[in-house]
Amino acid sequence: MFKKILIANRGEIALRVLRACRELGIKSVAVHSEVDARALHVRFADEAVCVGPAAASKSYLNIPAIISAAEVTGADAIHPGYGFLSENAEFARICAKCGITFIGPSPEAMRAWGDKVTARTNAARFGLPLLSGSAVLESAEHAIAEANRVGYPVILKASGGGGGRGMRVVRSDAEMPDSFASARREAESGFKNPDVYCERFVERPRHIEFQVLADQHGGVWTLGERECSLQRRHQKVIEEAPSPAMTAERRQAMAEVIRRAVRETGYTSLGTLEFLMDERGDLYFLEMNTRVQVEHPVTEMVTGLDLVALQIRAAAGQKLDLPDTRNWHFRGHAIECRINAEDPKSFAPWPGLITEWNPPGGAGVRVDSGVYGGWRVPPDYDSLLAKLIVHGATRAEAIIRMRRALDEFIVSGIRTNIELHKALLVDREVVEGRMTTRTIERITGKGH
Amino acid sequence: MSLDLDKLSALFELLAEKDIAEFEHEEGGVRVRVSRQIAMPGAMAGMGGVGPWVVGSPSPAGPGQTAAAAAAAQSASDDAAGDSLDVTSPFVGSFYRSPSPDAPPFVEVGSVVRPGQTLCIIEAMKLMNEIEAECAGTVTEIFAQNGKSVEYGQKLFRIKKA
Repeated sequence: MFKKILIANRGEIALRVLRACRELGIKSVAVHSEVDARALHVRFADEAVCVGPAAASKSYLNIPAIISAAEVTGADAIHPGYGFLSENAEFARICAKCGITFIGPSPEAMRAWGDKVTARTNAARFGLPLLSGSAVLESAEHAIAEANRVGYPVILKASGGGGGRGMRVVRSDAEMPDSFASARREAESGFKNPDVYCERFVERPRHIEFQVLADQHGGVWTLGERECSLQRRHQKVIEEAPSPAMTAERRQAMAEVIRRAVRETGYTSLGTLEFLMDERGDLYFLEMNTRVQVEHPVTEMVTGLDLVALQIRAAAGQKLDLPDTRNWHFRGHAIECRINAEDPKSFAPWPGLITEWNPPGGAGVRVDSGVYGGWRVPPDYDSLLAKLIVHGATRAEAIIRMRRALDEFIVSGIRTNIELHKALLVDREVVEGRMTTRTIERITGKGH
Repeated sequence: MSLDLDKLSALFELLAEKDIAEFEHEEGGVRVRVSRQIAMPGAMAGMGGVGPWVVGSPSPAGPGQTAAAAAAAQSASDDAAGDSLDVTSPFVGSFYRSPSPDAPPFVEVGSVVRPGQTLCIIEAMKLMNEIEAECAGTVTEIFAQNGKSVEYGQKLFRIKKA
């Protein structure tokens, strides 16, 4: 088992990893930027090293500084969290070269599944259903030909990354040349890779993702699905497990296919396969995230597992003693609300000093957060303040519990999206479990 | 506006937060001028972050207020206000005072240095990086310990400017 893990991240996920390290008896090193010197996980870590100024490029993305910090502290492993360097195969390769274990998949497995286009090829090989789509488009003419083969409407997407960049919905041949050019420009500026492909566009999809875990001894476990349809501009706002749209049969069938794909491509550690569900309830593979996800707690609540601890143990070469999860019954229902530092109406980010912070508690309530009263939220990073997670015996109970918890959540000094969450949890589509990725847009009256 | 330390401290924080370089206020016979030395962008081993506060002297005022302003000015200059420069580490790494284990250190307390003169080496990822003096002056303090690891922004030397 590792003696010392360097946590190459910040905020709530750094604290999450630190908690797992504490419980596993592993020493922790927190690397941080100057503005995070008083962050909670920095204060709790066994050692802390300042790696740069506020700018992420000079601190949390600064590979030489992070590796140097690992060397001077004698860390034998690095946990990259999510975002930042977590899906950077080059960083994983450098860690290996320096004799430091990267807690995640191998660089090869990360590359194979991380690139959207090769992931689709992998998926097709193992029988994961795919939305009809194309390979990389060479020209506007090629794009038009492929769009006609797939059938309009189509969406152009970037090979090199997501988050809405390099995406364009195209409904006719006439729209294609301009959309193709602008999608390529956006992809180049966002990911240094202009490649785009096209895919059938579903008007009102649901976002369903499956959690997997694999050790280095051939063990692969699928841990159920999460529904993350409530999104704004391709950023998730509320997630839940299980999905109200899934049936036990569909879940089992998909789990089988996923297990084989993960096992036979030699993928290890945590991973999440993202799918789109169309209006008929059919699932189509979109992409795989080769890291721990923000919303992992909802899976933890319905399985009773500590995913980060399992991820660390798998990375250390342990054979995980989990039961066969193929017939697992998931326990109750969990919902997570992402509490962000933003104006609830305009969505403008709202950094600043938190003067009062009173998170909710009580039965079935969990709050994962790195902030506290007196913490100054810096403008340099994402706006996530806390994840409010509730568990209930049924979805209806979980919703009631979440409304109760949101009512107790007091934050002063900055603005948050708590009011947005309250509005979402009384919306009929959400309450009836019929939401799609267009739901928030309808409620807020704002487009993508 | 009375010049007590708590208010001055809150004022400094507000100015830093809003990234204001200079501020002047006059009220009730007291004039306060505060200016911040902003670090030069791209400075290698120079000021690692916000420079020291310099509190301007107030116009004639009551004794209590002048004493408070003087006290504030004193604590500002203790922190290298204007005539000294703190050299901070631009990397995470190991700090070495000599070019090699047997060689004498690059500088000692009392050494006179010129701009561009090597002060120390910081080893990061097997690369030796020489840290140079940004100004001419005399080394008055050596904060970091030979062979020990240093983090980004950590104080290494104080140089009294010539």
